[in-house]
Parts: sequence; C-alpha cells; structure tokens
Amino acid sequence: MNQANPVSIYQEPDLRQSSLVLGWKEDAGDLGRRVTDYLNLKLKGQEFAEIEPEDFFAMGGVAVKDNIARFPESKFYACPDQELVILQTDAPSAEWHTFLNSVLDVAEVHCHVREVYVLGAMISISAHTAPRQLLGVANSAEMRGTLSQYDLNRDMDYQTQPGERPTLNSFLLWIAKGRNIPGVSLWVPVPFYLAAVEDIQAQRRVVRFLNEKLGLRIDLSDLDQEIRRQNERLAQARSRSAQIDDYINRLESNLTLSDEENGELVKKIDEFLEEGG
Amino acid sequence: MGIRLYQEPQLNSPILVASWPGIGNIGIIAVDTLRRILGAEELGEIEPWEFFYPKLVLIRKGVLEYLEFPGSRFYFKGTGEKDVILFIGEEQPAEGGRMYAEGTKAYRMANLVIDVAEKFRCGRVYTSGAAVALTHHTAKPRVWAVPNSENLVPEIKKYSNSILMSDIEGRGGHGNITGLNGLLLGVAKRRGFEAICLMGEIPVYLQGLPLSYPRASKAVLEVLTHGLKVEANLDTLDELDQKAQQRIEEFYQQIPLEIREQLDRLKHVTYPQPAEPGPITEEEERKIVEDVEKFFKKRREGD
Repeated sequence: MNQANPVSIYQEPDLRQSSLVLGWKEDAGDLGRRVTDYLNLKLKGQEFAEIEPEDFFAMGGVAVKDNIARFPESKFYACPDQELVILQTDAPSAEWHTFLNSVLDVAEVHCHVREVYVLGAMISISAHTAPRQLLGVANSAEMRGTLSQYDLNRDMDYQTQPGERPTLNSFLLWIAKGRNIPGVSLWVPVPFYLAAVEDIQAQRRVVRFLNEKLGLRIDLSDLDQEIRRQNERLAQARSRSAQIDDYINRLESNLTLSDEENGELVKKIDEFLEEGG
Repeated sequence: MGIRLYQEPQLNSPILVASWPGIGNIGIIAVDTLRRILGAEELGEIEPWEFFYPKLVLIRKGVLEYLEFPGSRFYFKGTGEKDVILFIGEEQPAEGGRMYAEGTKAYRMANLVIDVAEKFRCGRVYTSGAAVALTHHTAKPRVWAVPNSENLVPEIKKYSNSILMSDIEGRGGHGNITGLNGLLLGVAKRRGFEAICLMGEIPVYLQGLPLSYPRASKAVLEVLTHGLKVEANLDTLDELDQKAQQRIEEFYQQIPLEIREQLDRLKHVTYPQPAEPGPITEEEERKIVEDVEKFFKKRREGD
C-alpha cells in the first residue's frame, strides 16, 4: 500500500484561485474524456501531476481497447491563464475515499481550488435530435445559487434506488462539502445508442456551460461542425436503414422501444458509425 | 479515522457480541433481535469511509443533502447480571464484489472492534454466523460453537443444542469460519480475549439463496441469552421463521423430485455420536451434496 503518498507532482502549477474540472475516462458518450481532452487542447493544459494507480485499481493485468493496451491513469493538467485545473481519470475500483481525497489534496494544496466541477453522462432513452438538457447538483444551497444565471436545470430530486449505489460524482461532492469546497456535479443525457460511441452534442453542452461559468472564452465553432457531421452521419444511417429510421422516429414521438429493439438500434448505429458511414 | 464513541458509560466487565451479514443472515438477525429485546442504546460506530462505498445519496432540489454509508455500530446495555456491548456491521468490508471480507481491511475492522472490547474491559467476545449443514429446513438447527481457547471447551459442552466441531459428523474437529465472524475470533485470541463463535445450522440447499433463516438465529440466541443470563422472549423470531418457511417451502417444491426425495431423508437425521452408525451413510451424504450442487449449477446456467 502506498496510501501515504499516492500523488506525484512533476511541477508546481502557477494557480492562485482556480477551478477544478474532473472528467471520467470511461463515461457514456465518451463525455468525460472528450470534454477534458477538448479543454486541454483549447487551453493548452500542461500535465503537472498524477495519482499513482496501485492503491486504487486492480493490478491484475491490462485492458485492451481498440487494439491498444490501456492502463489506469489519473492525470492533472494546469491552465494558468484561465485558473483552471483539469483532471482526466479512470474511475477507481478500490479505496475510493482515499482517491477522492487525494484529488482534493492536489486541488487545494497545489492549485488553491475554490470550486469543483465533476462531469457525468446519463443514459437517456430519447433520440439524438432532442436537446441535451444540462442538470446541475450542487453540494450546498449557496453553490446552487451561483448557478441561477446559467441555462441548466437546478431542481433535480433523486434518491438511490434499491440495488443501486451512489455515483463517484456524489461521493466527490460530499467529500468536497466536508472540506468546505463548493462543488457541482454536471449531468447531461446521452441517447442510449450513442453511449458506446460518442455524443458530441452532449460534450458541447457541458463545454458551453463551463465556457460561460468559468469565462474560458473558447470558440466552440469546431464542436458545432463536429455536431453537424455527426448529425449528417446519423441522418444517412436513417436514410439507408428503414429500421433505424423507424426506431428513431418512435423515440422522437416519445414511444418506447422493446429491449430487443433497443439492442438492435445500438448495434446498427455502432456498426454504421464504425464503417465511417 | 477509526472509532467514534457517542458516550462512555461505566460498564461492568461487559460481554461483546458482534455480527456481520453472512449466509442466511443468521448472526446479524440474532444480534439485532437481541439489541431490540434488550433495548440497547447506541454507543458508537466505526467510521465507514475507509471501509465502504456509500450506499445511498439524497438529492433535493438540486442540492446533495446527504450520503449514507453502511453502518458499523456499537450498542450497550446493563442487563443486571452481565453488561453487554453489541456490534452490528451492516456490510462486510469486502473487495472485488466478494461477500466476505478478507485481507487488510477486514483485519483492521476486526481490530477496531477489539479496541472497543479493550476500552470497556470486556470479559468475553461472541461472534455468530451460519454453519452450512446436512440438515432439513423443518428440523431444529443445532448451534456449532467454536472457541478460540481450549479452556472454553468444558463450558461449551454444557450449552444445550450446541456442538463442537469435533462432534460434527465427518469433520474431525476441523473447518473454516469465513469472513469477519471468523476473523474476529483470531484477532481476539491474538489480543488476549476469550471468544466463541456461535453458528446456527442452515441446510446445505439453502446456502446460495438470498433468504434469511431466522430459525437458526433463534437457536443461536437461545444459546447466547443463556450465556448472558438474559431472559428473552423470542416470539418475534418465530413470526419471522413462519414467513421464511413459507418461502423456503415454495423453493423446495421447485427442486426436482428425485433430489427432493434425497433431501427429505434429512428430516429424519437424529445426529448420532460419530462412532454410531447414522441414519444416512457417508456415501449417501456425498450423493445428496453432489445432487444439490448439480441442481444449483443447472439453475445458475439457466439464469
């Protein structure tokens, strides 16, 4: 066990009053990875620290994805001009409390973080043509109040259902609250048939909020183009397959599909997008 | 991080009784029933963060109101004869989806429980759990008693409806007690406390089912309350048992007839001494276990 010091700092970041944005690498619609990659690219984030994986991930080999061996990573990036810290990380499978506290240790001690934003995708049964409504869950009424001027739903009511467990986002917010760090969990719906690929609209929705809230001044026109391209590809899929079109039409009319039809739609969209259709 | 005590009562050489969930929830139902019967007060808790993932979140109007963790709580009661500290762990700090705790976390939690025993100068520790046995669900379960010291054997021999491992057919005094209900015995021994694990029998064909088995909890409590010199009305367990027996019977009727006929023979087991010829031969025992295992394997594959 290496719990005494699970963090490696390569370089002290020059941050005085920053915000932390955390994205999980394995998120529906590739939301967390894509958003943090995008912010890093646009804001020229510099990697300055990482959390060592040995205490938090099963060290029983490596996962292979898209032909490449993957290893769990938890990397911090600093964007000093925007007073922003970005953490892109795999979700830990053990010692969650220590892991999340390590995240906040880096944020507080090395980055003087004053707010935390953690990203999450919700699988939705709606069609991709439906607007992505952003939901925000704050860890205090005061923090919720600061969200009033932004376009997001702040009225979520939720209680864990039998057989389920709270998300790591909630766990992080709760620990942050205990450390008097205001935090928000941002949730965006991702149509179920884009969950295994990517949902650029959902990504844009989150980036737009962060852009406004944190004053990042990012030009989002490239994301708009990507959304257009994805929508065109999905329109092609509909025009080539009457079955795909029928399924999506029904979702657009708020009709539900059977489990079998859901699975069929996921498979067909996946195949179509993989073929570069 | 560790133990948080809400109060520090003066207790007279109390006995600590601990339990975590396990097969049939036999131990935890027994200890929780004892807590209710005694009207035990909350004494403290083991802080959960290092052991558990949260179990519940409540969000109201977009604000995270609270996060709840599985509880690991201590209770106490002065009984007149012997003071009692009860410990109820809502979950075992298991990793990787396992049901039972093992490794560093389990060892640390067992030590925290014994820290409380030490602080209040407990004279003895009891744990309780399940003993998977070749018995029938209509029969009265026995209680297997495993002490952590040779000195306790004569006392255990006086317990009614209880047996030592050496008295159990074909075991030769050997066996394993999985998870924290067992680990605590070892940790207690290491730290100089005498301890006994009381395990209520559960039929082998019920061990894989998500069912409580209050009939065995009652058997454990009968032994425990006698040891604690506590008068306890266990009627609530009879009511629970009736409901459980209905569900078990429904399941039992789903077992193929040829296996059920074998299992029915367990109704007539009379627990002979090891040297005496039993009503079921060793060969027949093996066959029953094999048949039951095959049945469950088939069921799992069919799921």
